[in-house]
Amino acid sequence: MAPKKVEPKKPEPKKPEPKKEEAPAPAPVPETPKEPELDLKSVPLEFTADQIEEFRDAFTLFDETPTGEMKIRYAQCGDVMRALGHNPTNADVLTVLGKPKAEDMNTKYLDFETFLPMLQHVSRTKDQGTFEDFVEGLRVFDKEGNGTVMGAELRHVLATLGEKMTEDEVDRLMAGQEDANGCINYTSFIKHILSG
Amino acid sequence: MSVVNEFLFLDNDFKNSGVAQADWSTKKMVWIPSEREGFQSASIKEETGNEVVVELDNGKKVTVSKDEIQKMNPPKYNKVEDMAALTCLNEASVLHNIRERYFSGLIYTYSGLFCVVVNPYKLLPIYSEKITEMYKGKKRHEVPPHIYAVTDNAYRNMLQEREDQSILCTGESGAGKTENTKKVIQYLAVVASSHKGKRHHYSLTGELEKQLLQANPILEAFGNAKTIKNDNSSRFGKFIQINFDNTGYIVGANIETYLLETSWCIRQAKIERSFHIFYYMVTGAKDKMRDELLLEDFSNYRFLVAGHVQVQNQQDDEMFEETLEAMEVLGFNEEERIGMLKVCSTVLQLGNIEFKAEKNQEQASMPDNTAAQKVCHLQGINVTDFTKAILTPRFKVGGELVQKAQTKEQADFAIEALAKAMYDRLFRWILACVNKALDKTKRQGASFLGILDIAGFEIFEDNSFEQLCINYTNEKLQQLFNHTMFILEQEEYKKEGIEWNFIDFGLDLQPCIELIERPNNPPGILALLDEECWFPKATDVSFVEKLTNTHSSHCKFSKPKNLKEKAFFTVQHYAGKVDYNATSWLTKNMDPLNDNVTALLSNSSSAFVQDIWKDVDRVVGLETMAKMAKSDSAAPTASKSKKGMFRTVGQLYKESLGKLMTTLHNTQPNFVRCIIPNHEKRAGKIDAHLVLEQLRCNGVLEGIRICRQGFPNRIVFHEFRQRYEILAARAIPKGFMDGKQASTLMIKHLDSDPNLYRIGLSKIFFRTGVLAQLEEERDLKLTDIIIAFQAQARGFLSRKAFSKKQKQLTAMKVIQKNCAVYLTLKNWQWWRLFTKVKPLLQVTRQDEEMNQKEEELHKAKEIAQKSEAELKEITQKHNQVVEERNQLQAKLQEEAELYAESEEVRIRLEAKKQELEEVLHEIEARLEEEEERSQVFQQEKANLQQQLKVE
Repeated sequence: MAPKKVEPKKPEPKKPEPKKEEAPAPAPVPETPKEPELDLKSVPLEFTADQIEEFRDAFTLFDETPTGEMKIRYAQCGDVMRALGHNPTNADVLTVLGKPKAEDMNTKYLDFETFLPMLQHVSRTKDQGTFEDFVEGLRVFDKEGNGTVMGAELRHVLATLGEKMTEDEVDRLMAGQEDANGCINYTSFIKHILSG
Repeated sequence: MSVVNEFLFLDNDFKNSGVAQADWSTKKMVWIPSEREGFQSASIKEETGNEVVVELDNGKKVTVSKDEIQKMNPPKYNKVEDMAALTCLNEASVLHNIRERYFSGLIYTYSGLFCVVVNPYKLLPIYSEKITEMYKGKKRHEVPPHIYAVTDNAYRNMLQEREDQSILCTGESGAGKTENTKKVIQYLAVVASSHKGKRHHYSLTGELEKQLLQANPILEAFGNAKTIKNDNSSRFGKFIQINFDNTGYIVGANIETYLLETSWCIRQAKIERSFHIFYYMVTGAKDKMRDELLLEDFSNYRFLVAGHVQVQNQQDDEMFEETLEAMEVLGFNEEERIGMLKVCSTVLQLGNIEFKAEKNQEQASMPDNTAAQKVCHLQGINVTDFTKAILTPRFKVGGELVQKAQTKEQADFAIEALAKAMYDRLFRWILACVNKALDKTKRQGASFLGILDIAGFEIFEDNSFEQLCINYTNEKLQQLFNHTMFILEQEEYKKEGIEWNFIDFGLDLQPCIELIERPNNPPGILALLDEECWFPKATDVSFVEKLTNTHSSHCKFSKPKNLKEKAFFTVQHYAGKVDYNATSWLTKNMDPLNDNVTALLSNSSSAFVQDIWKDVDRVVGLETMAKMAKSDSAAPTASKSKKGMFRTVGQLYKESLGKLMTTLHNTQPNFVRCIIPNHEKRAGKIDAHLVLEQLRCNGVLEGIRICRQGFPNRIVFHEFRQRYEILAARAIPKGFMDGKQASTLMIKHLDSDPNLYRIGLSKIFFRTGVLAQLEEERDLKLTDIIIAFQAQARGFLSRKAFSKKQKQLTAMKVIQKNCAVYLTLKNWQWWRLFTKVKPLLQVTRQDEEMNQKEEELHKAKEIAQKSEAELKEITQKHNQVVEERNQLQAKLQEEAELYAESEEVRIRLEAKKQELEEVLHEIEARLEEEEERSQVFQQEKANLQQQLKVE
């Protein structure tokens, strides 16, 4: 199954209604590649009116302000983008946010109008890595060479390497993936992740 | 078992630890020199020209020169079992690896051909029966590093290839050479006896092991002394040869010793001791025995310079008892034991003989002959003859005997020489007895396994003749190692079909060895020393001058720059530069014993003394046991012609070493390097500089240097592909491809310099460091992929959470709607009526339900009946089958009994065959003897005939 395409259309729109729902706060990763400061003002918006309406609905769903100000915390920015079908890395998200400090992530807010150009920027960036890349990557941990990796090892990798995931994130990701021996067929695992 | 595994196996969980991996590749970890730890880890922050700014673990930043930095290995190599596999082969990494393993309780580590072992200074549970079982018949790479693995490999090679084996243990004193030597014997005793899983072979192995262990305290008492560094330092090297028959059983053992430093019995430094036995004897001998041995107080003996120096945790009198017991067990009788002690007492007493120079005369005299009387009493010789032999010995000059008066110096020298020679002969006599006890069977072994336990390279503050000898030995041993390694490497390259001109690194050591042992053109150090000994006016300084003149241009020779002393010279050994102090080398090299004294002793009234001095005509010195054993049987009359022949200590040394080397060259050597971790005898502590020094001296680093010249890292294709395919994923087409082809494509894709790798038939070879680079690239690539995958995973999670949120929203709306509807319905009269009437409707349906249930019951009953019938049938069948099985079993039983009977017959026949074979052996031996005798007769006959003819 092919990885999800980067069309910002997938999520079905729903009526705006503020909800108390816990959104996973991505752990801020300070490391950032060297690249020129991003000027979001220069990003032309290419979304259709329908799309924008969709985004607004989703955005509203994340709005946790008590009075419904149509604002989200910095930390939620990545989640909204991802909910809308994109797969930015944490580093990507921090770049479009203008590399805020770690402590600002949960205290600073941004509104929908600020969010749109960010989303536009992210939607233009191509996803890193293909299905084949991921298979290659996980094959490294395939000690037996039988197409499976130890679940524990995969947990360890995801939680300690790269942009480390929290234990809770890893738990949710791997729920129901391990077989009786604690092994995971990584090809189907990757397919499963790429299809969602 | 799990407790034990801890000391053998690596905890593999974190070998691939992502954290360490990420740390290593992102932080650019390296090693920089450290005062305290030898090397410490640091991460590179900035590089400018030749200088590098690094950050230490504690956050401090330091600038070091680029040359001082040594690369760190990727974490994959942590605590690796064979250090030859390290991709960054440098001192820091080797030290780090050994240290990390040592801290984890892993004391054995391979380094290519070497097995390096660090003295744990505590008992480890890794020598148990279970462990022995575990190592039995395993290949080296199948089990964790262990002395047992080394031994087992040697043993199997001996059996399979019919090649004699040797295990060479070297190291500083206190590093555990002897301990590991014992483990080797222990292991062999178990493995070689359970060879066929049968016990009715003689219980010889257990006995032999016991005897070898009992031989040890005796050898230690007479051959060990307390030195500055080690309370129980062996002052001799030994080669224990265990003989095996064709089937791999132990048939006997033989111990040869080398280079006993007899000079220890005449002088020692302040806090050092002479050989243990003197202290045991003087402290332990009581009452009658004390009188018989004419013992005195410690302070009375000039040869025990520092008096009664105590050894910690050791009571000399208790040790005396133990030594005597050990002697008894090994078959020394009462007379022999007293005889041995008498010799020791004599050696001490010799030190008390004092000479005076007569006024106006060169001649020496002995004003007080009390000590001499004691000596003569102990040795059963005439005191007047003895005094004459020392003061006015007779020499042969031009075929006539001439009496020559001796100066005080000459007399003193003669006494010391006598003391040393006497002790040396005693030691060799003891050894001969021990060997007689160990050589149980007369049968010739088919092959042997030798264990060499000899001091390693020595660099002291003051290096004398003894150090030259031991370092010379180590040069030779290192050459053997280099040569062996060269042969093996060459084989490996050939096997893999790789073209590579490997240099024989054994030749590297040749210049230094030549400098020492070359007989002429130009003569080497030993030859020059011998030459100087013939010149009456020569001194140590003139020797060094001659040496300097001859070898000033030799690449391994130099004069120390800052030393004003003229008797110093420097030799560049493979392990480092050593400044030798040639003071008193001429004397050390000579050690001549005048015939007058030896003749006296060999005619002593004591049979024991006679026995010791039996072979008068042999030259006294550091001869090997083998020679002594041979001369025992050879007719003593035959050697008359050699009378007056005089060989130097250096010559004898060279000879005995030559013999040892010949033996070793004819074996397949296995190298064990023992390392002392600290001088405090503390467990779990590593003195980094001390260990580095030893690694340098014992050739481990030298071995690594050699490795680096070739392609030290080898990976089989499959592994290479598995680990690094990620770097060249696109290069390999989908579907099957054989390892070699795939690896070739991969390495091409990676764009490596062709000089950095070679592709063999089953492995790919890399120069040192290349793998580290691949490893780094792999890490970066892997991290990229993981990050991308994590992004996908986060997207996946977010969308799942989002859709859940949406569903919840929908659900909520449904509930809201229903609530609203309910609110409107609640007061509608029709609805209320409906809710009232609804329960009543249920009653009419009850009959219907009843009928349905009954039908179901009926069906269930039918099914039950059917199953019952089936069960009956199956049970019947089962019974039938069981009966058949019983019949077959009975038949089997009968067959087995028949088999056992014929097996018994076979065993009996075999035993008979064995007996007959032994008889045959004997007869053959007798035949040989007869033939020999007949030959002798023939010879005689021929002689007689000739005589007849002449007449």
